[in-house]
Amino acid sequence: MRHLGIALMVALCVPAAGCVQTRQYADVQFTPPQGDYRLLVMRPDVTVNSVTTGGMNEPRADWTEQARTNIIAALAAQQLQRGGKVKILARRNELPGVSEEAVADLERLHSAVGNSIALHKYLGAYLPTKSRRGLDYTLGEEAVALGRKTGYDYALFMFAEDSIVSGGRVALQVLGVAGCFVGFCAPNIGGGGQFAYASLVDLKTGEVVWFNVVQAGSQIAGIKMGDIRTPQGSAQLVERLLGRMKPGYEVRRAMEKR
Amino acid sequence: MCWRCHELDRRSLLVGGGIATAALSTGVAQARIRPADMKPLIGPGFRPTDTDEIGLWQQMQRVEEEVAGSNLLIKDPALIRYLQDLIGTVGGPAAKDMRIYLAHIPDFNAVMFPSGFAVIFSGLLLRMRNEAQLAGVIAHESGHFLRRHMIRSWRDLKRKSDIFAIGSMALGVAGGATGVYTGDIAQLAQLGTILSLFRYSREMEAEADAMGARLLADNGYPAIEMANTWEQLIGEEDASARHRRKRRDRGGSLFATHPAPGARMADLKVSAAEVTVPGRAYDSRRARYLQAISPIRKMLLDDQVKLNDPGASQYLIETLARDGWNGLLRFYEAEVWRLRNRHGDDLRAAQGYAVAVAYPDAPPEAWRWHGLSLIKAGRQAEGRAALTRYLALQPNAADAPFIRQMVS
Repeated sequence: MRHLGIALMVALCVPAAGCVQTRQYADVQFTPPQGDYRLLVMRPDVTVNSVTTGGMNEPRADWTEQARTNIIAALAAQQLQRGGKVKILARRNELPGVSEEAVADLERLHSAVGNSIALHKYLGAYLPTKSRRGLDYTLGEEAVALGRKTGYDYALFMFAEDSIVSGGRVALQVLGVAGCFVGFCAPNIGGGGQFAYASLVDLKTGEVVWFNVVQAGSQIAGIKMGDIRTPQGSAQLVERLLGRMKPGYEVRRAMEKR
Repeated sequence: MCWRCHELDRRSLLVGGGIATAALSTGVAQARIRPADMKPLIGPGFRPTDTDEIGLWQQMQRVEEEVAGSNLLIKDPALIRYLQDLIGTVGGPAAKDMRIYLAHIPDFNAVMFPSGFAVIFSGLLLRMRNEAQLAGVIAHESGHFLRRHMIRSWRDLKRKSDIFAIGSMALGVAGGATGVYTGDIAQLAQLGTILSLFRYSREMEAEADAMGARLLADNGYPAIEMANTWEQLIGEEDASARHRRKRRDRGGSLFATHPAPGARMADLKVSAAEVTVPGRAYDSRRARYLQAISPIRKMLLDDQVKLNDPGASQYLIETLARDGWNGLLRFYEAEVWRLRNRHGDDLRAAQGYAVAVAYPDAPPEAWRWHGLSLIKAGRQAEGRAALTRYLALQPNAADAPFIRQMVS
C-alpha cells in the first residue's frame, strides 16, 4: 500500500502554490452505493509525518494514532449519514469465519491491482485498448469469496498520509521569501501536504468499481490545506475523498437521456 | 542494515558533478574499529522513548506484520527454532528480544530492522560451512540493533540534511546580497553531504563487524570464521565473474554503503585475533549446523544451480565439499555442468551422476539422470536399471509415468 502511495504522490505533485486536487475513476456501470448497503472498510493505512528542516519525512507515532482514530470516526459518521451499515477493521483477525491470511492476501492483491491502476490511470501509461472503458479492474474470486462469507456488499481500501512542516522548515521558508528582496528567491521550498486514496470494491463481482486520489498541499512550507490530526481535518479529508462519488460513464449517459 | 547491500546507482548521484574535487577532500579508507570498544548501547527489553524512534518503531510494526505473514518465508518449525536459539545466544543483552525470519531467497544476505527483527535469506544457509559462520552473520546483524545503528543513521541523515538546507539557503541569501553566484559551491556541498552519509554507513558496518566478532568469541565460537565467510564470498564472486569473463566489483567506492569485502576480511582477521583468548576452547559446531539445515539443504542447492551462475555454483559446491564430498554435493556438481551445457559438459555431467550414485546418500534424481545419461550413451540395460532404482526411490515423482514407459 505504501509503495502505491508514494508512486501516486510523485505523479500528482504539481508545482502549484497551494491546491486541493482530486481525480476519480469509476466502472462504466457504477452507481454510488445508497440506502441499505453493507460496507466493509479494510484497515485504513494512516501515517502522519513531521517534515524536518532539511525536508526529511519523519513518522510520528502519536500524531499517527490520533489521525487514525479521527479518520475512522469521520468515516463511520459519513457512511451512517448515507444509510449504509459499516464495519471498519482495525485488525486482520476481526472477521468471523475469515482467516487472517485471507485478509492479508486480499490486501496484498489490492495493493498490486492498485499499482496497476496508479500506473495506467494516473502515471500516464494509458492503455489505448482501455480508453472510454472507465475503471476496468477486478480482484476476482477472492473478493467475491470474502463477500459471500461475510455478507458485505462493498469493501473499501484506504490510505492517507499527512506531513506536518516543522518549525525549522517554516523558518527556512521565511528566510527564502525574505531572500527575494536581495535577489535570491526561494518562495516555495515545499515539504508538507496531504495525500490520500480510496478504492471501492464490489464484493458481488470482485470488481474495483471506484477509485479516487486526493492531494492537498502547498509548495510554501507552513501553509496547510488541512490537518488530519484534528477531527475537523479528518472529516474534511474523508469528505474530499468519498463525499462526491460520481456514477460511471454509461450510468451518467443514461441519466442524461432521461 | 544488511549484511551486504547493493550499491546505489552511482549515475543518479553524479548529477551534480564535481566528483573529482570532492573525492580529493574525502578519503575512502578508514581505521578499523576495535571489538573492545564495542559496548552494547541497549539493555534487555529495550523500548524507544524518543519521539523519532517511537515513530520508526511504529512503522516497523506494520513491516514486521507483512514480513511475518509473507509467503516467501520458510516455516519449518525446527529450523526456525534453531535460528531463534542462535540469535538468542549471540544477541548480547537483547538476545531474548530479537525475532528472526527465514526468507526463501537464494542470495547471500541478511537484514536487521530497526525494531529488532532480522530476516535471513535462505542463500545464506547454503553458503555457511558451520554454525560459527552463521552465528557470525547473525551476531553482525545483532550488532546493528545493539549499537542502535538505525536511529543513529537516521539522526545523522536528519542533522546533515538540516545543515545542508540551512547552509544553502544562507549561502544563497548572502550571495544574493553581495551579488556573487554561489550555485557551484552549493552543489559541491550537496555532494559532500551525500558522501559523508555513505561514510557514516560504512562506519556502522565496521562497528557491527567488530561487535559481531566480540559476541561470537564470547559465546565460544571461533571469531575467525567471520573472516572466512568473507573469504568465501570473495572467492565466489571472483569465480562467478571469471566465468562470465568479467572482473569482480571490488567495492571501496565513495558511494559504497558497506566497506569493501577485502578490507572487511582483513579487519575481521585482526579483530578475531584480538577477541580470541589463548587457552580457551572454541567450537564451530559444524555437526549441529548440518543437522539443523539437513531438511532444506537439497532445496538450497537446487535453488542455487538454477540461478544460471555456473561459476559461483561450482565454487560454492567445491567450498562446501572441503568438509567432505557426499552424494548430494556430487549430484549438484553434475547438475551445474549439465545446465551449463558447454562443449563436453554432457559427458562431464554423465560422469558426475555416475560418481554421485556411488554414495549411499545420493538423491533419487541422481539415479534418474544417471539412467538417462546411460541410455543416451547407448547403454540401454544399465540405464533402465538406474531408472528402475529411481522409480523405487521416488514412486510418486511427477515424471514417473514417462520413466515407467521408458523402462518397460
